[in-house]
Amino acid sequence: MLEVRDLTTSYGSVVALNSVSLTVVESKITTVIGANGAGKSTLLRTISGLEKPASGSVTWNGESLLGKRPEEIVRMGIAHVPEGHAVISALTVEENISMGALFRRRTHKNDIAQATEELYTLFPRLLERRKQLAGTLSGGERQMLAISRALVSRPSLLLLDEPSLGLAPLVVEQIIDSINVLSQKTGLTVLLVEQNANTALSVADYGVLLSLGKVAAYLPADELKADASLRAAYLGY
Amino acid sequence: MDTLLAALFTGTSRGAIYALVAMGLVLVWRGAGIVNFAQMGQAMFSTYIASSLIMNGYSYWLAFFVAIAAGALLGVFLDLAVMRPLSNKKQTELLSSASMRAAVPVIASLGILGVLQALAGVFWAAEERGFQAPFAQEGYTIAGRVMPFTSFDLFVMSVVTFTLILTVLFFKKTGVGLAMRASALDQEVAKLSGIRTNGVRALSWAISGAASSLAGLLLTPTSNLSPYTLDLALIIGFTAAVVGGLDSLPGSVIGGFILGFVISFVNYYLTPEDIYLAILAVLVFVLVVRPRGILGGKDTRRV
Repeated sequence: MLEVRDLTTSYGSVVALNSVSLTVVESKITTVIGANGAGKSTLLRTISGLEKPASGSVTWNGESLLGKRPEEIVRMGIAHVPEGHAVISALTVEENISMGALFRRRTHKNDIAQATEELYTLFPRLLERRKQLAGTLSGGERQMLAISRALVSRPSLLLLDEPSLGLAPLVVEQIIDSINVLSQKTGLTVLLVEQNANTALSVADYGVLLSLGKVAAYLPADELKADASLRAAYLGY
Repeated sequence: MDTLLAALFTGTSRGAIYALVAMGLVLVWRGAGIVNFAQMGQAMFSTYIASSLIMNGYSYWLAFFVAIAAGALLGVFLDLAVMRPLSNKKQTELLSSASMRAAVPVIASLGILGVLQALAGVFWAAEERGFQAPFAQEGYTIAGRVMPFTSFDLFVMSVVTFTLILTVLFFKKTGVGLAMRASALDQEVAKLSGIRTNGVRALSWAISGAASSLAGLLLTPTSNLSPYTLDLALIIGFTAAVVGGLDSLPGSVIGGFILGFVISFVNYYLTPEDIYLAILAVLVFVLVVRPRGILGGKDTRRV
């Protein structure tokens, strides 16, 4: 279980997260929605250690994550797929995937091979292109690759930042569905940041509505989806 | 005919050494974002260590490997003790722009070069001394004619070829090699993949230090050893790295051989004084015709 308490993160004098508290329940999908600049990405980047918070706490199964480097947090089982299809263009598809599990290659050799197989089954397009440079892939394929890079180490918690960014609706649906199936099958905990609130809420168990760095609502996803006044006030539809 | 052969062989053997120097520079540039002007100072230091061991009666080969190990250690030391604190944001936040902050470690490397040369002068006296070659430096005699290549040249070429193959295999086939390539290309994604980028950076310094120390050991038998002998090798190696593209390892090797041939041909067909002019000409030519270097990526010309 991931516990975020009173988390405040600023960029210089700009407060991006203002005393945010939330709990990410195990084996469930929690989605963070909100307008541009609401602090959604900052929340994920602070959890994964890329940004240092000014105050507050983040604990993972009782252990504090604050002050830990991103590479150590990944090794604790928290994988982060940052915004913008984060793959390394000059490496092949295969290399991008195996990069994600390098840190456990001595202890889990067979398991990595199996995890890679499973990911190729989940995203067959990557199998076809495994020898190609990641830079030659389409946007959707890159997102699949970025997710595979994160999943190949078999994390317990997946932080997924705007997988829909710049992708066609059909591809978005496919990716979100895969995550949903994976979470139900393996019990993967997911913290999904999305601007596309409807898609995200349709697969999520819980929804967090962020507005200007503060939690405006934290509800079961279907309740949040049904709440017309919240939608109108914060999402504008 | 003899001149042509001589120019070709010297070019190959020298080019191989310049390839090592350029490779060392490219490794640190990719791994740490620093053009390390102290590199051949480090090499000079480890060559002096080898020289002292030999003068104290140890075998050449022991000295050879100790020098390479010392080069690697000195590289790691410079990264941990000097470069890492200087790259720390907090320490340099007084500087206004990002490019000025990026320049700090580069200027520091010039400082390190000065310190290393001064220390070498203190420890080993600043006069030139010879440094032995492990193999004969007289040309082979075939059918009564002295050929323009020596056993030492063959040794240089085989050692460098072996090193280059080893480097390629290391980067292409091992997990650590993949971690190094990933960190060089994208720090953030590498970190998020669980790669300990600080360790990887120190390793770049180590490999670069070892490669340039090897270059120092191979260069000094044909000149002499003094605190300043390897300065020219740095200039040539840096030019080779820029010609190759600065962020490409294969490019640095190609650049090294190009410089080796250019210098050797100028030396045999024109006069040795024209070498500096030739180096400058190659550099200007590449910067005008193909500013990103032979195999360089798109945004390498930030330097």
